[in-house]
Amino acid sequence: MENILECQNLVKFYPKCLALNSVNLTVPKGKIVGLLGPNGSGKSTLIKLANDLIQPTSGKILIAGMEPGIETKKIVSYLPERTYLNDWMTVNDMIGFFGDFYQDFNKSKAYDMLARLGVNPSLRLKTMSKGTKEKVQLILVMSREAQLYLLDEPIGGVDPAARDYILDTIIGNYNPEATVIISTHLIADVEKILDEVIFINQGNIVLVSTVDDIRENENKSVDALFREVFKC
Amino acid sequence: MLRKLLRYEIKATSRTFLPMYALLIVFALINKFFMAVNSSYLKIPQAIAMSVFVFIIIGICVMTLVVTIQRFNKNLLTDEGYLSFTLPVRVHSHIDSKMIVTLMWSVLSVLVSLISIFVMSVNETTILSFQRFMNELMAAFSQIGPSGYVLILEAVLLVIFGILSSTVEIYAAITVGNMSSKHKLLTGIGAYLGFGVIQQIIVSIILSSSDKSITRYFNLLETAGEFAQVQAAETVLLVLIAYMVIVGVALYFFTEWMLRKKLNLE
Amino acid sequence: MAWNLKSDRPIYSQLIEHIELLIVSGIYPAGSKLPSVRDLAGEASVNPNTMQRALAQLENDGLLYSQRTSGRYVTEDVDQIMKIKNGLAQGLIKEFIENMENLGYDVKQAIQLLERTIEEEK
Repeated sequence: MENILECQNLVKFYPKCLALNSVNLTVPKGKIVGLLGPNGSGKSTLIKLANDLIQPTSGKILIAGMEPGIETKKIVSYLPERTYLNDWMTVNDMIGFFGDFYQDFNKSKAYDMLARLGVNPSLRLKTMSKGTKEKVQLILVMSREAQLYLLDEPIGGVDPAARDYILDTIIGNYNPEATVIISTHLIADVEKILDEVIFINQGNIVLVSTVDDIRENENKSVDALFREVFKC
Repeated sequence: MLRKLLRYEIKATSRTFLPMYALLIVFALINKFFMAVNSSYLKIPQAIAMSVFVFIIIGICVMTLVVTIQRFNKNLLTDEGYLSFTLPVRVHSHIDSKMIVTLMWSVLSVLVSLISIFVMSVNETTILSFQRFMNELMAAFSQIGPSGYVLILEAVLLVIFGILSSTVEIYAAITVGNMSSKHKLLTGIGAYLGFGVIQQIIVSIILSSSDKSITRYFNLLETAGEFAQVQAAETVLLVLIAYMVIVGVALYFFTEWMLRKKLNLE
Repeated sequence: MAWNLKSDRPIYSQLIEHIELLIVSGIYPAGSKLPSVRDLAGEASVNPNTMQRALAQLENDGLLYSQRTSGRYVTEDVDQIMKIKNGLAQGLIKEFIENMENLGYDVKQAIQLLERTIEEEK
């Protein structure tokens, strides 16, 4: 099984709109992939489908050849846009929780990263700022030795220093066997760390290419190309 | 996985319940102290302590309900749901763990309340009257025979299934409410009332269609002996238990299906 | 030396150029061991796969060699490093002359101007 993610004629209708319009897509193992598109283009819908949080209207989505379910949840590490950490637990509790439920969770990795960030693991999440919570959540997600990481807007709404921290964390934990899919509309910041990009707009895949191919053939950055493709 | 879910569920809820239980016991002791002293100078604080005690019991009842609603809603249908539903755990395990924990706290709340009342009021006269009551109860049992124990067992089962079934009914209503994008609370309450109405309709259809046979059965009972009356009570309880189980199971599968297939977290 | 990567050219070729520069300038001297792919990628904030590709290309060019167990090393062939160094210098000089020609100087004038500027700087 060489493809970690595969979509076959994937369609998702919401009551009032078509979120994904017959998407066909394959994402191979061992890549860092940018899922790029403007707000409302279908990025989050695709990621939610891959996480079994919503069900496709028609078509298929496969993770390592399996339909989303318990088995895929064991190998997919997901960072949603929202912070899902509850207030009353401490960071230690959260690490215990992840360790209990995910067999691929590496506790010492998590503690290492927390120490580097200077977060005291016995603190309650309630006492932390929104930015710190987001970083803790990223640490939890990246401390899993998963096969597929799905990061939904990991750098939206954070300051540039935090952005660098997040991207460094992603590169630093990258394992050549795993695939990381990063959805974002802030392309200039991430394009250096991507192998491939997928442009998505209004539920359609517009372009799939490698970053260096775009730069070589178009003589411009992915960001510049993106602005051209999605010009209003 | 269910065991792990249960552990975290208990951890999440005991923060609320254990302090309340402790508070209840403390006030039971305070009241006991006032009663023992029984000074006319302390009439007012005594009255206050007594009403606080009652309020705590009411509070525990309300809290059991609130926590049931809150845990389901917050842990599954708000941002926390992004974590809960991406754990490698089946949806029904989430429902099971929450249901079992609600049952556990409901039973514990009743037990702790009873114990606190017992602690508060225990003295020679109450013990004597309690003993007398127990003796009479035992006497009644020996008269009825083994079916008395069946009655008790049925009553316990009815309470347990009653709690479980009403918990699932609340879960189903919350889940339906969550499908509405704007008026979650209103839709939820509407769904809850709707379930009630549907049940009423079904029950009244069944009753009216079998109206005559039921009347005949009860007419027969009036002339029958004590033994038959006990048996009738057993049957009635059994029917109630079966009703609770059927409603509970139907709503359970409905909730599970909705969460699995129709959920869309915001 | 900071990794100033431009956004309109392939990252991969910029990485190659930068590592060449690090080697010819003696920051990674002949025969020395290179940091791991992961560390280099982290330092440059780029995708480890891209860094891996750039290093593989440099290996192909003979500027690096890898030992299966212990990692990647800069070649011990000093002549080869000098060749690349000269190549880079020639490129800069060509670019300089071209720019001067665009300003209207011929080669001779450009050299004179160069010498005068160096004199003044002293």
